[in-house]
Amino acid sequence: MAMKEQAPGRCPEVWRPRDAAEACRLKTAFGPDGVFTAGGTLLRTQWESGSAAMPGTLIDLTAIPGLAGIRADEGQLVIGPLVKLSELMRTEAVATAFPLLAEAVRRIGAPSVRNLATIGGNVASAVGDALPALLVHEAELLWHTGGRTETTALEDWLADPGRAQGVRLLTGIRLKRTDAEAPGGPPGRIVGAYRKLGRREAFTPSLVTIAVLGRLSEDGTLTGVRMAAGGGSAVPMRLRAAETVLEGARVTPDALVRVSEAVLAEYRPASDAFAGAEYRRTAAANLIAAEWLRLAGAGREGDGR
Amino acid sequence: MIDRTNPVPVQTGSPVFAFTLNGEPVAVTAPPSRRLLDVLRHDLLLTGTKIGCEIGRCGACMVLLDGKPVNACLTMLYQVEGRRVTTIEGIAGGKDALHGVQRAFLEEGGYQCGYCTPGMIVSAAALLAERPDPTDEEIIEALSGNLCRCTGYGGILRAVRRAAAIGREADG
Ligand SMILES: Cc1cc2nc3c(=O)[nH]c(=O)nc-3n(C[C@H](O)[C@H](O)[C@H](O)COP(=O)(O)OP(=O)(O)OC[C@H]3O[C@@H](n4cnc5c(N)ncnc54)[C@H](O)[C@@H]3O)c2cc1C
Repeated sequence: MAMKEQAPGRCPEVWRPRDAAEACRLKTAFGPDGVFTAGGTLLRTQWESGSAAMPGTLIDLTAIPGLAGIRADEGQLVIGPLVKLSELMRTEAVATAFPLLAEAVRRIGAPSVRNLATIGGNVASAVGDALPALLVHEAELLWHTGGRTETTALEDWLADPGRAQGVRLLTGIRLKRTDAEAPGGPPGRIVGAYRKLGRREAFTPSLVTIAVLGRLSEDGTLTGVRMAAGGGSAVPMRLRAAETVLEGARVTPDALVRVSEAVLAEYRPASDAFAGAEYRRTAAANLIAAEWLRLAGAGREGDGR
Repeated sequence: MIDRTNPVPVQTGSPVFAFTLNGEPVAVTAPPSRRLLDVLRHDLLLTGTKIGCEIGRCGACMVLLDGKPVNACLTMLYQVEGRRVTTIEGIAGGKDALHGVQRAFLEEGGYQCGYCTPGMIVSAAALLAERPDPTDEEIIEALSGNLCRCTGYGGILRAVRRAAAIGREADG
């Protein structure tokens, strides 16, 4: 076995901008050879696997004030992109208002990875396992684009992450509290679930991730139904057709069959060496149907889960 | 937003990075993106931190950064500037001292070939510093980033439970 002392070739230099505008100017100046770096964990994986070359310059984001920390106000939460995954999952305001996000983050990597990795890096990668949870919570992304700031719905951005031209620095992830969403809205409980399927039970890259969220009324009717799927190299997406099937409906065996058919028709993951697209679509459909069945059943038994 | 025009390049000439290593201040002259793993083993000759998978999956290179476990293969030198790094060599806080977790691994036979052991001990020590009396579930979660491919996890789990007990005896 050959021993290597460093990844072959280059040892990038590191620049540390002091504000968002400066970070964008540096990125413009360096072009493709300058890479925004937060925790660097995903970048390291890409360099080691050869899926990306080590760049000449890392633009370290950690000295930019205001990108770390979680702000709560007026029923919404703005999560700074530099918040570490370990901090995010332990934040009370996240665990109570956005349990699916906390659950998704808990399933990413292992404790040591979560101590380095940031939520911003997970989101900006467009394939992070936190994304399906953020999609059903209808997250918005705040960007700094050199001269301006911009807000995009996560769902819109994920529809084509490469489309937006020019330099974009993610500066925040905004979530509206679920319980503030429908004041005086239909009665019922908010129910939801996040599932990650990998080749092992824990500390494993995902093959399929799903998230579901909705409001379950006393009589078993669902409203505000949201579903999303992703995992592996698939860019996560909302499953709008499947949502329509359950909106205003009850979780009956027939409805579940139609939900899984809708997922099979609209979810389009790619195959890789470990799992085919067929398998991923079927697993996503089955996981989603199984979670709705469980959530509806738990509702009927009055079980608080 | 303030419009500064003088961003700070971290690397100018031969950069010196200062941090605290096992309680002592150190200054290392090396490229900023050099892996902490290489800085520790090659530049500072602290070889207790092991090289395994080099992609953050095996935990053999686990060190503490400000008291929290991180993989030294994923961490770059500039990321530890001004911070506290603790390696297996410094975990007990003295040259001949043994940390409670180290004693427990010896007493319970929590290792076979020993290659994963420094990483296991670093992760377990971090867990016990935060949760002195962890449940089995918490131990398994805390060690989920550390792989052992020979002795199996039974002895390791026993050793961490024993270390928690040693901690309780010392406290009470
Ligand atoms: C051992 C191991 C296990 C892992 N397991 C998982 C897993 O289970 N699930 C999962 O989803 N991921 C996993 N990852 C990947 C990675 O750790 C996570 O995606 C992590 O959240 C990335 O965050 P980071 O801060 O390290 O990102 P970085 O590596 O610093 O950056 C990732 C990408 O985002 C860009 N970027 C970062 N911040 C910004 C910003 N503010 N604005 C614009 N662009 C930005 C970077 O340019 C880069 O392209 C794993 C990685 C390792 C090494």
